[in-house]
Amino acid sequence: MTLNKTLTIALYTFKEIWKSKILLNVFFIGMGLMVVTYVATEFTFGVPERVALDFGLGMLSLSSLGISLFLGVGLLSKEIESRTVYMVIARPVPRYAFILGKLIGLMGIQAVNVLILAIMTMSTTRFLGGEINGLIFWTVGFIFLESLMLLLVVVLLSLLANNILSVLFSLALLLLGHVIKDTQEISFVKDNPIAVKILEAYHFMLPAFYKLNLKDFVLYNNELPPSYLFGNLAYGILYSAFLLLAVVFLFQRKNLD
Amino acid sequence: MVGFLGANGAGKTTSLKIIMDFIRPTMGEVIFSSVLGTTREEIFRNIGFLPERPYFYQNLTGNDFLLFMGRLTDLDARTVSERVKVWAPRFKIDHALGRELKTYSKGMLQRIGFLATILHEPKIIILDEPLSGLDPIGRKELKDVIVEVHKAGKTVFFSSHIVPDIEEICDRVIFLKNGALAYDGSVSTLMKQAKVQDFTLTVQSPGELPPQVKFKQKLLLAEDLTRFTVSPDQKEVLLNHLVIEKKNIVSLEMMKPSLEEIFYNTRGTNDPQ
Repeated sequence: MTLNKTLTIALYTFKEIWKSKILLNVFFIGMGLMVVTYVATEFTFGVPERVALDFGLGMLSLSSLGISLFLGVGLLSKEIESRTVYMVIARPVPRYAFILGKLIGLMGIQAVNVLILAIMTMSTTRFLGGEINGLIFWTVGFIFLESLMLLLVVVLLSLLANNILSVLFSLALLLLGHVIKDTQEISFVKDNPIAVKILEAYHFMLPAFYKLNLKDFVLYNNELPPSYLFGNLAYGILYSAFLLLAVVFLFQRKNLD
Repeated sequence: MVGFLGANGAGKTTSLKIIMDFIRPTMGEVIFSSVLGTTREEIFRNIGFLPERPYFYQNLTGNDFLLFMGRLTDLDARTVSERVKVWAPRFKIDHALGRELKTYSKGMLQRIGFLATILHEPKIIILDEPLSGLDPIGRKELKDVIVEVHKAGKTVFFSSHIVPDIEEICDRVIFLKNGALAYDGSVSTLMKQAKVQDFTLTVQSPGELPPQVKFKQKLLLAEDLTRFTVSPDQKEVLLNHLVIEKKNIVSLEMMKPSLEEIFYNTRGTNDPQ
Protein backbone atom coordinates (compact mmCIF):
# COMPACT_ATOMS: atom_id res chain seq x y z
CA MET A 1 0.00 0.00 0.00
CA THR A 2 2.76 2.42 0.96
CA LEU A 3 4.63 1.45 -2.20
CA ASN A 4 1.53 2.36 -4.23
CA LYS A 5 1.37 5.75 -2.56
CA THR A 6 5.08 6.35 -3.13
CA LEU A 7 4.65 5.54 -6.81
CA THR A 8 1.52 7.73 -7.02
CA ILE A 9 3.46 10.68 -5.58
CA ALA A 10 6.31 9.90 -8.00
CA LEU A 11 3.90 9.80 -10.95
CA TYR A 12 2.28 13.14 -10.14
CA THR A 13 5.63 14.79 -9.36
CA PHE A 14 6.80 13.63 -12.78
CA LYS A 15 3.57 14.91 -14.39
CA GLU A 16 3.81 18.28 -12.66
CA ILE A 17 7.42 18.85 -13.79
CA TRP A 18 6.74 17.38 -17.24
CA LYS A 19 3.87 19.81 -17.78
CA SER A 20 6.06 22.71 -16.68
CA LYS A 21 7.77 22.13 -20.06
CA ILE A 22 11.25 21.93 -18.59
CA LEU A 23 12.04 19.07 -20.93
CA LEU A 24 11.27 21.32 -23.86
CA ASN A 25 14.35 23.26 -22.77
CA VAL A 26 16.30 20.00 -22.74
CA PHE A 27 15.15 19.30 -26.28
CA PHE A 28 16.33 22.75 -27.39
CA ILE A 29 19.64 22.20 -25.59
CA GLY A 30 19.96 18.98 -27.58
CA MET A 31 19.21 20.71 -30.86
CA GLY A 32 21.64 23.52 -30.00
CA LEU A 33 24.21 20.93 -29.08
CA MET A 34 23.96 19.31 -32.51
CA VAL A 35 24.39 22.67 -34.24
CA VAL A 36 27.34 23.68 -32.03
CA THR A 37 28.93 20.28 -32.60
CA TYR A 38 28.57 20.64 -36.34
CA VAL A 39 30.14 24.11 -36.27
CA ALA A 40 32.95 22.95 -33.96
CA THR A 41 33.81 19.98 -36.17
CA GLU A 42 34.36 22.39 -39.05
CA PHE A 43 37.27 23.85 -37.08
CA THR A 44 38.89 20.57 -36.10
CA PHE A 45 41.06 18.27 -38.12
CA GLY A 46 40.70 14.55 -38.04
CA VAL A 47 38.67 13.99 -34.89
CA PRO A 48 35.19 15.49 -35.40
CA GLU A 49 33.53 12.51 -33.71
CA ARG A 50 35.60 13.10 -30.59
CA VAL A 51 34.52 16.74 -30.50
CA ALA A 52 30.89 15.63 -30.86
CA LEU A 53 31.26 13.20 -27.99
CA ASP A 54 33.06 15.77 -25.83
CA PHE A 55 30.40 18.44 -26.39
CA GLY A 56 27.57 15.95 -26.02
CA LEU A 57 28.73 14.38 -22.76
CA GLY A 58 29.63 17.80 -21.38
CA MET A 59 26.16 19.19 -22.10
CA LEU A 60 24.54 16.02 -20.79
CA SER A 61 26.47 16.35 -17.57
CA LEU A 62 25.74 20.08 -17.19
CA SER A 63 22.02 19.80 -17.90
CA SER A 64 21.50 16.85 -15.56
CA LEU A 65 23.47 18.52 -12.77
CA GLY A 66 21.51 21.74 -13.41
CA ILE A 67 18.19 19.88 -13.11
CA SER A 68 19.32 18.23 -9.87
CA LEU A 69 20.53 21.50 -8.42
CA PHE A 70 17.73 23.85 -9.38
CA LEU A 71 14.72 21.53 -9.25
CA GLY A 72 16.13 19.62 -6.28
CA VAL A 73 16.49 22.70 -4.10
CA GLY A 74 12.77 23.47 -4.41
CA LEU A 75 11.61 19.85 -4.27
CA LEU A 76 10.74 20.06 -0.57
CA SER A 77 11.09 23.73 0.33
CA LYS A 78 8.55 24.75 -2.34
CA GLU A 79 6.15 22.09 -1.06
CA ILE A 80 6.47 23.40 2.48
CA GLU A 81 6.21 27.08 1.50
CA SER A 82 3.13 26.53 -0.64
CA ARG A 83 1.60 24.07 1.87
CA THR A 84 1.05 21.46 -0.84
CA VAL A 85 2.88 19.03 1.45
CA TYR A 86 0.03 19.41 3.97
CA MET A 87 -2.50 18.16 1.43
CA VAL A 88 -0.45 14.99 0.97
CA ILE A 89 0.75 14.09 4.44
CA ALA A 90 -2.61 14.93 6.02
CA ARG A 91 -3.66 11.69 4.32
CA PRO A 92 -2.59 8.21 5.38
CA VAL A 93 0.80 8.72 3.75
CA PRO A 94 4.00 8.28 5.78
CA ARG A 95 6.51 11.08 5.42
CA TYR A 96 9.15 8.74 4.02
CA ALA A 97 6.74 7.72 1.23
CA PHE A 98 6.27 11.39 0.37
CA ILE A 99 9.98 12.16 0.13
CA LEU A 100 10.74 8.94 -1.76
CA GLY A 101 7.92 9.66 -4.21
CA LYS A 102 9.17 13.19 -4.83
CA LEU A 103 12.72 11.95 -5.42
CA ILE A 104 11.64 9.13 -7.74
CA GLY A 105 9.45 11.55 -9.73
CA LEU A 106 12.32 13.98 -10.21
CA MET A 107 14.70 11.17 -11.09
CA GLY A 108 12.17 10.10 -13.74
CA ILE A 109 12.51 13.55 -15.30
CA GLN A 110 16.27 13.24 -14.97
CA ALA A 111 16.16 9.86 -16.73
CA VAL A 112 14.21 11.36 -19.66
CA ASN A 113 16.69 14.25 -19.84
CA VAL A 114 19.68 11.89 -19.86
CA LEU A 115 18.01 9.63 -22.41
CA ILE A 116 17.19 12.45 -24.85
CA LEU A 117 20.65 14.02 -24.70
CA ALA A 118 22.46 10.65 -24.75
CA ILE A 119 20.56 9.59 -27.88
CA MET A 120 21.35 12.92 -29.56
CA THR A 121 25.02 12.73 -28.57
CA MET A 122 25.45 9.15 -29.73
CA SER A 123 23.58 9.81 -32.98
CA THR A 124 25.81 12.80 -33.76
CA THR A 125 28.96 10.86 -32.87
CA ARG A 126 27.88 7.92 -35.02
CA PHE A 127 26.92 10.26 -37.86
CA LEU A 128 30.43 11.75 -37.81
CA GLY A 129 31.97 8.29 -37.97
CA GLY A 130 32.66 7.68 -34.30
CA GLU A 131 32.32 4.33 -32.60
CA ILE A 132 29.78 3.74 -29.83
CA ASN A 133 31.48 1.52 -27.29
CA GLY A 134 30.45 0.17 -23.91
CA LEU A 135 32.37 2.82 -22.03
CA ILE A 136 30.05 5.51 -23.45
CA PHE A 137 27.09 3.74 -21.86
CA TRP A 138 28.99 3.51 -18.58
CA THR A 139 29.74 7.24 -18.80
CA VAL A 140 26.08 8.10 -19.39
CA GLY A 141 25.06 5.83 -16.50
CA PHE A 142 27.60 7.48 -14.23
CA ILE A 143 26.35 10.96 -15.20
CA PHE A 144 22.88 9.82 -14.12
CA LEU A 145 24.28 8.49 -10.85
CA GLU A 146 26.23 11.70 -10.27
CA SER A 147 23.08 13.77 -10.80
CA LEU A 148 21.24 11.51 -8.30
CA MET A 149 24.01 12.04 -5.75
CA LEU A 150 23.93 15.81 -6.29
CA LEU A 151 20.13 15.80 -6.03
CA LEU A 152 20.32 14.04 -2.67
CA VAL A 153 23.03 16.45 -1.48
CA VAL A 154 20.97 19.51 -2.38
CA VAL A 155 17.74 18.07 -0.91
CA LEU A 156 19.60 17.21 2.29
CA LEU A 157 21.04 20.71 2.54
CA SER A 158 17.66 22.29 1.75
CA LEU A 159 16.32 20.59 4.88
CA LEU A 160 19.01 22.34 6.92
CA ALA A 161 19.53 25.72 5.25
CA ASN A 162 17.75 28.15 2.95
CA ASN A 163 17.61 27.65 -0.81
CA ILE A 164 20.44 29.99 -1.78
CA LEU A 165 22.84 28.53 0.75
CA SER A 166 21.82 25.00 -0.23
CA VAL A 167 22.66 25.66 -3.89
CA LEU A 168 25.96 27.35 -3.01
CA PHE A 169 27.04 24.59 -0.62
CA SER A 170 26.04 21.92 -3.12
CA LEU A 171 28.01 23.61 -5.89
CA ALA A 172 31.01 23.86 -3.56
CA LEU A 173 30.73 20.15 -2.70
CA LEU A 174 30.40 19.29 -6.39
CA LEU A 175 33.53 21.23 -7.29
CA LEU A 176 35.52 19.90 -4.35
CA GLY A 177 34.29 16.39 -5.07
CA HIS A 178 35.76 16.65 -8.56
CA VAL A 179 39.15 18.07 -7.57
CA ILE A 180 39.79 16.25 -4.30
CA LYS A 181 41.84 13.46 -5.91
CA ASP A 182 44.06 15.86 -7.86
CA THR A 183 44.45 18.05 -4.81
CA GLN A 184 45.76 15.07 -2.84
CA GLU A 185 48.39 14.56 -5.51
CA ILE A 186 49.83 18.08 -5.18
CA SER A 187 53.31 17.89 -3.67
CA PHE A 188 52.59 20.77 -1.29
CA VAL A 189 49.77 18.71 0.19
CA LYS A 190 51.80 15.51 0.23
CA ASP A 191 54.52 17.26 2.23
CA ASN A 192 52.05 18.57 4.80
CA PRO A 193 50.81 15.78 7.14
CA ILE A 194 47.94 17.87 8.51
CA ALA A 195 46.67 18.69 5.00
CA VAL A 196 46.96 15.01 4.10
CA LYS A 197 44.83 14.03 7.11
CA ILE A 198 42.22 16.73 6.42
CA LEU A 199 41.89 15.71 2.78
CA GLU A 200 41.75 12.03 3.68
CA ALA A 201 38.92 12.77 6.11
CA TYR A 202 37.16 14.86 3.46
CA HIS A 203 37.63 12.09 0.92
CA PHE A 204 36.17 9.56 3.32
CA MET A 205 33.20 11.63 4.52
CA LEU A 206 32.07 13.86 1.67
CA PRO A 207 30.99 12.90 -1.84
CA ALA A 208 33.87 12.10 -4.19
CA PHE A 209 32.15 13.06 -7.43
CA TYR A 210 35.31 12.49 -9.48
CA LYS A 211 34.74 8.74 -9.13
CA LEU A 212 31.69 9.08 -11.37
CA ASN A 213 33.43 11.09 -14.06
CA LEU A 214 34.49 8.86 -16.95
CA LYS A 215 34.42 11.51 -19.67
CA ASP A 216 38.22 11.80 -20.00
CA PHE A 217 38.58 8.03 -20.32
CA VAL A 218 35.93 7.71 -22.96
CA LEU A 219 37.35 10.62 -24.98
CA TYR A 220 40.87 9.22 -25.05
CA ASN A 221 39.75 5.64 -25.61
CA ASN A 222 41.32 4.47 -22.41
CA GLU A 223 40.32 1.03 -21.28
CA LEU A 224 39.01 0.77 -17.77
CA PRO A 225 39.15 -2.45 -15.77
CA PRO A 226 35.75 -3.81 -14.65
CA SER A 227 36.91 -3.58 -11.02
CA TYR A 228 37.27 0.20 -11.40
CA LEU A 229 33.85 0.55 -13.03
CA PHE A 230 32.00 -1.73 -10.62
CA GLY A 231 33.89 -0.36 -7.61
CA ASN A 232 32.91 3.21 -8.46
CA LEU A 233 29.36 2.14 -9.30
CA ALA A 234 29.11 0.54 -5.85
CA TYR A 235 30.53 3.72 -4.31
CA GLY A 236 27.91 5.87 -6.08
CA ILE A 237 25.04 3.58 -5.09
CA LEU A 238 26.13 3.19 -1.47
CA TYR A 239 26.84 6.90 -1.02
CA SER A 240 23.44 7.73 -2.53
CA ALA A 241 21.79 5.23 -0.18
CA PHE A 242 23.54 6.89 2.77
CA LEU A 243 22.36 10.34 1.61
CA LEU A 244 18.83 9.01 1.10
CA LEU A 245 18.75 7.64 4.64
CA ALA A 246 19.94 11.01 5.96
CA VAL A 247 17.24 12.85 3.93
CA VAL A 248 14.49 10.52 5.19
CA PHE A 249 15.76 10.74 8.78
CA LEU A 250 15.78 14.56 8.72
CA PHE A 251 12.44 14.89 6.94
CA GLN A 252 10.76 12.51 9.41
CA ARG A 253 11.78 14.85 12.24
CA LYS A 254 11.40 18.18 10.52
CA ASN A 255 8.78 20.65 11.70
CA LEU A 256 6.86 21.52 8.56
CA ASP A 257 6.21 25.17 9.42
CA MET B 1 -20.23 22.06 13.16
CA VAL B 2 -17.53 23.26 15.51
CA GLY B 3 -16.02 26.72 15.20
CA PHE B 4 -12.44 27.10 16.35
CA LEU B 5 -12.15 30.75 17.16
CA GLY B 6 -9.31 32.97 18.20
CA ALA B 7 -7.68 36.25 17.28
CA ASN B 8 -4.72 36.25 14.91
CA GLY B 9 -1.79 34.72 16.78
CA ALA B 10 -4.00 32.93 19.36
CA GLY B 11 -2.56 29.58 18.27
CA LYS B 12 -5.28 28.11 16.05
CA THR B 13 -3.09 27.15 13.10
CA THR B 14 -0.32 25.94 15.42
CA SER B 15 -2.84 23.70 17.24
CA LEU B 16 -4.05 22.29 13.94
CA LYS B 17 -0.49 21.67 12.74
CA ILE B 18 0.22 19.77 15.95
CA ILE B 19 -2.98 17.72 15.57
CA MET B 20 -2.04 16.88 11.99
CA ASP B 21 1.56 16.01 12.98
CA PHE B 22 3.11 18.69 10.78
CA ILE B 23 4.98 20.07 13.78
CA ARG B 24 5.82 18.52 17.14
CA PRO B 25 4.54 19.98 20.40
CA THR B 26 7.06 21.15 23.00
CA MET B 27 4.79 19.57 25.64
CA GLY B 28 1.53 17.67 25.85
CA GLU B 29 0.09 15.05 23.52
CA VAL B 30 -2.67 14.68 20.97
CA ILE B 31 -5.21 11.96 21.72
CA PHE B 32 -7.57 10.88 18.95
CA SER B 33 -10.95 9.31 19.64
CA SER B 34 -10.99 5.56 18.97
CA VAL B 35 -13.95 6.28 16.67
CA LEU B 36 -11.36 7.52 14.16
CA GLY B 37 -9.27 4.37 14.48
CA THR B 38 -6.35 3.02 16.42
CA THR B 39 -3.42 3.25 14.01
CA ARG B 40 -2.05 6.42 12.43
CA GLU B 41 -3.12 5.20 9.01
CA GLU B 42 -6.72 4.53 10.12
CA ILE B 43 -6.96 7.85 11.93
CA PHE B 44 -5.64 9.88 9.00
CA ARG B 45 -7.92 8.02 6.61
CA ASN B 46 -10.85 9.33 8.65
CA ILE B 47 -9.65 12.93 8.68
CA GLY B 48 -10.04 15.41 5.86
CA PHE B 49 -7.80 18.45 6.25
CA LEU B 50 -7.71 21.64 4.21
CA PRO B 51 -4.85 24.02 5.04
CA GLU B 52 -5.15 27.78 5.03
CA ARG B 53 -4.84 29.27 1.53
CA PRO B 54 -3.56 26.10 -0.12
CA TYR B 55 -1.53 26.50 -3.27
CA PHE B 56 -1.87 23.35 -5.29
CA TYR B 57 0.30 21.83 -8.01
CA GLN B 58 -0.16 24.49 -10.70
CA ASN B 59 0.38 22.39 -13.79
CA LEU B 60 -2.05 19.62 -12.88
CA THR B 61 -5.64 19.84 -14.08
CA GLY B 62 -8.51 19.74 -11.59
CA ASN B 63 -9.20 16.12 -12.55
CA ASP B 64 -5.52 15.15 -12.17
CA PHE B 65 -5.38 16.75 -8.75
CA LEU B 66 -8.54 15.05 -7.47
CA LEU B 67 -7.40 11.67 -8.76
CA PHE B 68 -4.00 12.21 -7.09
CA MET B 69 -5.64 13.06 -3.77
CA GLY B 70 -8.08 10.15 -4.11
CA ARG B 71 -5.31 7.64 -4.81
CA LEU B 72 -3.48 8.73 -1.68
CA THR B 73 -6.50 7.62 0.32
CA ASP B 74 -6.69 4.28 -1.50
CA LEU B 75 -9.58 5.21 -3.80
CA ASP B 76 -9.58 3.81 -7.31
CA ALA B 77 -10.12 6.00 -10.37
CA ARG B 78 -13.75 4.87 -10.77
CA THR B 79 -14.73 5.75 -7.21
CA VAL B 80 -13.01 9.14 -7.49
CA SER B 81 -14.83 9.83 -10.75
CA GLU B 82 -18.22 8.85 -9.24
CA ARG B 83 -17.73 11.04 -6.18
CA VAL B 84 -16.47 13.97 -8.25
CA LYS B 85 -19.60 13.65 -10.41
CA VAL B 86 -21.76 13.95 -7.29
CA TRP B 87 -19.97 16.82 -5.57
CA ALA B 88 -18.36 18.92 -8.33
CA PRO B 89 -21.64 20.44 -9.60
CA ARG B 90 -22.67 21.28 -6.03
CA PHE B 91 -19.30 22.99 -5.53
CA LYS B 92 -19.77 24.80 -8.87
CA ILE B 93 -16.40 23.51 -10.05
CA ASP B 94 -17.45 20.88 -12.60
CA HIS B 95 -16.95 23.23 -15.56
CA ALA B 96 -13.26 23.78 -14.71
CA LEU B 97 -12.03 20.28 -13.89
CA GLY B 98 -10.25 19.90 -17.24
CA ARG B 99 -8.29 23.11 -16.76
CA GLU B 100 -4.89 23.51 -15.10
CA LEU B 101 -5.04 24.70 -11.51
CA LYS B 102 -2.95 27.78 -12.31
CA THR B 103 -5.96 29.18 -14.17
CA TYR B 104 -8.26 28.87 -11.11
CA SER B 105 -9.41 31.83 -9.01
CA LYS B 106 -8.86 31.78 -5.23
CA GLY B 107 -12.47 30.78 -4.64
CA MET B 108 -12.23 27.93 -7.14
CA LEU B 109 -9.00 26.71 -5.52
CA GLN B 110 -10.67 26.70 -2.12
CA ARG B 111 -13.66 24.81 -3.51
CA ILE B 112 -11.57 22.17 -5.29
CA GLY B 113 -9.39 21.91 -2.18
CA PHE B 114 -12.51 21.31 -0.12
CA LEU B 115 -13.74 18.74 -2.63
CA ALA B 116 -10.38 16.93 -2.34
CA THR B 117 -10.76 17.08 1.43
CA ILE B 118 -14.09 15.24 1.48
CA LEU B 119 -13.40 12.89 -1.43
CA HIS B 120 -12.45 9.94 0.78
CA GLU B 121 -15.54 10.47 2.98
CA PRO B 122 -13.68 11.25 6.21
CA LYS B 123 -15.50 11.21 9.55
CA ILE B 124 -14.14 14.59 10.55
CA ILE B 125 -13.26 17.52 8.32
CA ILE B 126 -10.75 20.05 9.61
CA LEU B 127 -10.62 23.39 7.81
CA ASP B 128 -8.01 26.02 8.62
CA GLU B 129 -9.34 29.51 7.84
CA PRO B 130 -11.19 28.24 4.75
CA LEU B 131 -12.77 31.62 4.05
CA SER B 132 -9.65 33.75 4.27
CA GLY B 133 -8.72 35.67 1.15
CA LEU B 134 -12.11 35.15 -0.50
CA ASP B 135 -14.42 37.89 -1.74
CA PRO B 136 -17.98 38.10 -0.31
CA ILE B 137 -19.45 35.93 -3.07
CA GLY B 138 -16.67 33.36 -2.68
CA ARG B 139 -17.24 33.30 1.09
CA LYS B 140 -20.97 32.79 0.66
CA GLU B 141 -20.48 29.98 -1.86
CA LEU B 142 -17.95 28.14 0.29
CA LYS B 143 -20.06 28.58 3.44
CA ASP B 144 -23.04 27.07 1.62
CA VAL B 145 -20.92 24.09 0.57
CA ILE B 146 -19.58 23.57 4.12
CA VAL B 147 -23.13 23.66 5.51
CA GLU B 148 -24.25 21.17 2.86
CA VAL B 149 -21.46 18.74 3.73
CA HIS B 150 -22.30 19.09 7.42
CA LYS B 151 -25.95 18.34 6.66
CA ALA B 152 -24.77 15.21 4.85
CA GLY B 153 -23.61 13.95 8.27
CA LYS B 154 -20.00 15.07 8.58
CA THR B 155 -18.40 16.69 11.61
CA VAL B 156 -16.76 19.92 10.50
CA PHE B 157 -14.08 21.59 12.61
CA PHE B 158 -13.63 25.04 11.22
CA SER B 159 -11.01 27.53 12.34
CA SER B 160 -11.52 31.25 11.84
CA HIS B 161 -10.78 34.59 13.41
CA ILE B 162 -13.94 36.07 11.92
CA VAL B 163 -16.66 35.70 14.53
CA PRO B 164 -19.76 36.34 12.37
CA ASP B 165 -18.77 33.38 10.14
CA ILE B 166 -18.72 31.08 13.15
CA GLU B 167 -21.91 32.59 14.56
CA GLU B 168 -23.64 32.03 11.26
CA ILE B 169 -22.88 28.37 10.66
CA CYS B 170 -21.52 26.70 13.81
CA ASP B 171 -23.46 25.19 16.68
CA ARG B 172 -20.49 24.63 18.94
CA VAL B 173 -17.58 26.94 19.48
CA ILE B 174 -14.11 26.64 20.96
CA PHE B 175 -12.38 29.89 21.87
CA LEU B 176 -8.63 29.98 22.02
CA LYS B 177 -6.99 32.94 23.70
CA ASN B 178 -3.24 33.37 24.06
CA GLY B 179 -2.74 29.71 23.28
CA ALA B 180 -5.14 28.48 25.98
CA LEU B 181 -8.75 27.32 25.95
CA ALA B 182 -11.09 30.15 26.93
CA TYR B 183 -14.46 28.53 26.13
CA ASP B 184 -15.77 25.25 24.80
CA GLY B 185 -19.53 24.84 24.42
CA SER B 186 -22.58 25.61 22.38
CA VAL B 187 -23.06 28.98 20.77
CA SER B 188 -26.57 29.29 22.27
CA THR B 189 -25.32 28.60 25.82
CA LEU B 190 -22.67 31.24 25.40
CA MET B 191 -25.25 33.73 24.18
CA LYS B 192 -27.53 32.90 27.15
CA GLN B 193 -24.66 33.23 29.61
CA ALA B 194 -24.01 36.74 28.47
CA LYS B 195 -25.23 39.41 30.90
CA VAL B 196 -28.48 41.06 29.81
CA GLN B 197 -27.45 44.38 28.54
CA ASP B 198 -29.25 47.62 27.88
CA PHE B 199 -32.66 48.34 26.34
CA THR B 200 -33.62 50.74 23.62
CA LEU B 201 -36.94 52.51 23.78
CA THR B 202 -38.27 54.50 20.85
CA VAL B 203 -40.92 57.09 21.68
CA GLN B 204 -42.81 59.68 19.67
CA SER B 205 -42.56 63.22 21.08
CA PRO B 206 -41.37 62.23 24.57
CA GLY B 207 -41.19 65.81 25.88
CA GLU B 208 -39.03 66.66 28.90
CA LEU B 209 -38.06 63.72 31.13
CA PRO B 210 -38.13 64.09 34.94
CA PRO B 211 -34.67 64.16 36.61
CA GLN B 212 -35.12 60.69 38.23
CA VAL B 213 -34.99 59.04 34.77
CA LYS B 214 -31.37 58.35 33.89
CA PHE B 215 -30.63 57.31 30.33
CA LYS B 216 -27.34 56.36 28.72
CA GLN B 217 -27.99 57.77 25.31
CA LYS B 218 -30.62 59.86 23.58
CA LEU B 219 -30.89 59.82 19.82
CA LEU B 220 -33.21 62.07 17.83
CA LEU B 221 -34.67 60.26 14.83
CA ALA B 222 -36.86 61.37 11.95
CA GLU B 223 -40.62 62.02 12.34
CA ASP B 224 -40.29 63.34 15.88
CA LEU B 225 -39.06 60.00 17.19
CA THR B 226 -36.51 59.73 19.97
CA ARG B 227 -34.57 56.61 20.92
CA PHE B 228 -33.35 56.21 24.52
CA THR B 229 -30.78 53.67 25.63
CA VAL B 230 -31.31 52.73 29.30
CA SER B 231 -30.03 50.15 31.77
CA PRO B 232 -32.44 47.34 32.87
CA ASP B 233 -33.33 49.08 36.19
CA GLN B 234 -33.97 52.43 34.51
CA LYS B 235 -36.18 50.76 31.90
CA GLU B 236 -39.09 50.47 34.44
CA VAL B 237 -38.74 54.07 35.58
CA LEU B 238 -38.82 55.40 32.04
CA LEU B 239 -41.70 53.15 30.99
CA ASN B 240 -43.79 54.23 34.03
CA HIS B 241 -43.21 57.85 33.23
CA LEU B 242 -44.14 57.41 29.55
CA VAL B 243 -47.32 55.44 30.40
CA ILE B 244 -48.44 58.05 32.94
CA GLU B 245 -47.75 60.83 30.40
CA LYS B 246 -49.64 58.81 27.74
CA LYS B 247 -46.74 59.00 25.29
CA ASN B 248 -46.70 56.91 22.12
CA ILE B 249 -44.16 54.09 22.70
CA VAL B 250 -43.08 52.82 19.28
CA SER B 251 -40.73 50.01 20.33
CA LEU B 252 -38.90 48.45 23.24
CA GLU B 253 -35.93 46.19 22.47
CA MET B 254 -33.33 44.33 24.51
CA MET B 255 -29.84 44.94 23.13
CA LYS B 256 -28.32 41.46 22.66
CA PRO B 257 -24.54 41.30 22.66
CA SER B 258 -23.10 39.75 19.51
CA LEU B 259 -20.94 36.65 19.71
CA GLU B 260 -18.05 38.89 18.78
CA GLU B 261 -18.59 41.08 21.86
CA ILE B 262 -18.89 38.01 24.08
CA PHE B 263 -15.82 36.48 22.50
CA TYR B 264 -13.62 39.48 23.12
CA ASN B 265 -14.92 39.76 26.70
CA THR B 266 -14.29 36.09 27.51
CA ARG B 267 -11.38 35.74 29.89
CA GLY B 268 -8.76 33.21 28.88
CA THR B 269 -6.85 31.14 31.40
CA ASN B 270 -3.64 32.88 30.38
CA ASP B 271 -5.06 36.35 30.84
CA PRO B 272 -3.62 38.53 33.57
CA GLN B 273 -5.97 38.64 36.59
